[in-house]
Amino acid sequence: MGFLDNSGDIILDVVLTDHGRKELSKGDGSFKITKFALGDEEIDYSLFNSSHASGSSYYDLSILQTPILEAFTDNAASMKTKLVTYENLELLFLPVLELNELQGIDRRHATSGSFIVAVDRYTEDDDETGTGKGIGLVEGKPVPGVIFGESLDRGSMIVIDQGLDTSQISTKQTIDPDLRETEYTIQIDNRFGSIIDPQGNQLELSYIDDDDIAYYVVSEEEATAVQSISNLTKANESPVAGPRGSRLKFKIKSSMDLNTSTYLFTTLGGESILDNEAGTGTTVYHIDSMVRITGMNTGYSLDIPVRFVKYKS
Amino acid sequence: MAESGAFKTLNDKDVVSTRTLLHEAIPITGTIVSGTYGDNNIKNPSHGMFQSVYDYPYLSSSANHIFDITVGIGTQSGLTITSQADKKKNIYNQMAQLLVGYDHTGSIQRFDEDGNIVGGGKKLDDVFIIPFSRLLVKDEIKKGTFQLELGIDDAYDNGGAIFNSRILISDQSGSNGYFVNSPVGEYGVLYATASTHTAALALDQSYAVGLLYYQAGIAVISGSVFNDAAIGGILNNALNSTDLIGQGAVGFSSVSASTTQTIASGIRNRIYNVQFNNTTELNSTIYFCRANHQEFNYSTNPTYTNASKIRVKTNSTDEPVSYITTIGLYNDKNELMATAKLSEPLKKTPSTEFTIRCRLDY
Repeated sequence: MGFLDNSGDIILDVVLTDHGRKELSKGDGSFKITKFALGDEEIDYSLFNSSHASGSSYYDLSILQTPILEAFTDNAASMKTKLVTYENLELLFLPVLELNELQGIDRRHATSGSFIVAVDRYTEDDDETGTGKGIGLVEGKPVPGVIFGESLDRGSMIVIDQGLDTSQISTKQTIDPDLRETEYTIQIDNRFGSIIDPQGNQLELSYIDDDDIAYYVVSEEEATAVQSISNLTKANESPVAGPRGSRLKFKIKSSMDLNTSTYLFTTLGGESILDNEAGTGTTVYHIDSMVRITGMNTGYSLDIPVRFVKYKS
Repeated sequence: MAESGAFKTLNDKDVVSTRTLLHEAIPITGTIVSGTYGDNNIKNPSHGMFQSVYDYPYLSSSANHIFDITVGIGTQSGLTITSQADKKKNIYNQMAQLLVGYDHTGSIQRFDEDGNIVGGGKKLDDVFIIPFSRLLVKDEIKKGTFQLELGIDDAYDNGGAIFNSRILISDQSGSNGYFVNSPVGEYGVLYATASTHTAALALDQSYAVGLLYYQAGIAVISGSVFNDAAIGGILNNALNSTDLIGQGAVGFSSVSASTTQTIASGIRNRIYNVQFNNTTELNSTIYFCRANHQEFNYSTNPTYTNASKIRVKTNSTDEPVSYITTIGLYNDKNELMATAKLSEPLKKTPSTEFTIRCRLDY
């Protein structure tokens, strides 16, 4: 996409997204625009210079000169950061999402820097045949950062905490209800896997777009994946330094394609070596992907790197 | 009271449907039709029933089909057809049943010179037909804008001499004098006038010489535009009939022993200019996205905060500031249906309000 001409009047470039065109083509009324949101994904607010020597007119000069690209038609590539409405105009802190890696084995894999999803039983624990080729266990204990994508009963999970990440407000303060997230959207490439709660129950799929990106919506009402952490006040209980809001926990179940075939691995991925139970090394196929979590009320989003792996040799 | 969160619901007053007619000028100079590319932009299908004209050599993927030329001879024509008689009759009947329709007995009606089908009058039985491509016509030809200028000099030539005398065929009364009794929509009468000198025509007047079907984008023109008055045409006898294909100044009667594609080439080489305006009917839905003063003043952009503290505020009493670059239009399942980009960031504070008008055309 090119830049929009910003030399004269303000112009507005409107396009249907590819998913919008797909819904329109169905002719079943699913294409009905009922709401809007405003975005600012090109803006780098760190350019806001409130100590500019020339005065307040110059604080945001660099921001206002930001060139804007034409609209993308890919629905997943647009509106990644949204503007939000809060009645209180005197807020000085806004909530964020943070990956919680403080507890047990629920953290990214030490060598890959991402969560690793072992897509079949043999990759998890060599199907307990004792060859020691599985990458999910070391000395009989689950390896931190490895999600068991087939058996689901052991291994790591992904934990996201929400709240005000500032030490200027005590964790004992209660977060403003408007700033507390109660509902999340989780996006994952549907070819690779699906989202399940920590107990192994499939979460309700909202929809799959034209690019095969699946959207799951989970709320606190269901209580299996989202829970309040307002009562957690100790520093080692959450990476959020200030008042805490809610916690999202989930696992990833590998897709049947990845479970049974190496096609997607050889087409989209590569090979790497991971430590195994035998203390040698297991060569695995891998695909790097991303899972995006977005707060439905607060709009904040977080991308979590995920690597799907399958035993090769 | 403002809706908290990132989404704002559009109410009934925020969504408006409109209809707009968009017009484009379509000029086709004669050199594209006969000369610029030799005959490389002319395709003659092997069945021989018409000739297609492209705006570029048709073997190129850049070429666009712009119109066809064909010939139709009705069963009641006075001409004796010895070449492709059945095909010329079939073309006439095909076009007549499509454009004029049937009478109460189910018989195909003939093209009528003044458009008054029921009232009788002179019928057009020897015609050439120009169907324009949808690429040019879009939804319809704008009434009152069609002009076709033909060289009618009697000499046979593929050069400029044939354009020494020209006539202009136009739907001069199209904007207020069109008919609506065709099965394919509206049509107007095409009139011929002299465009180079008044002596080109038998009388200094307008002659009804054909019909233009606006929505179908088809011009049906009488062969009499190439005939002098002595053989029933509109041209001045002193100028003779036109020599279309190098068989003498016999006017449109050369269609008798010539193939459709030969005649089509003769007509095409005499096209000096074609122009009209097309019409596209745009049905639009306009979404008025209203950002009131107390709305959308904060951002979820990761750079908006540093350790959760808002960068654009020093104290809590400072006004929050955000910058709008994108508008997302969603359905009730929060699926992104359309996006809009502003050409420059708009500064949003509690002191400002915006109404952004997003128009989707169908």
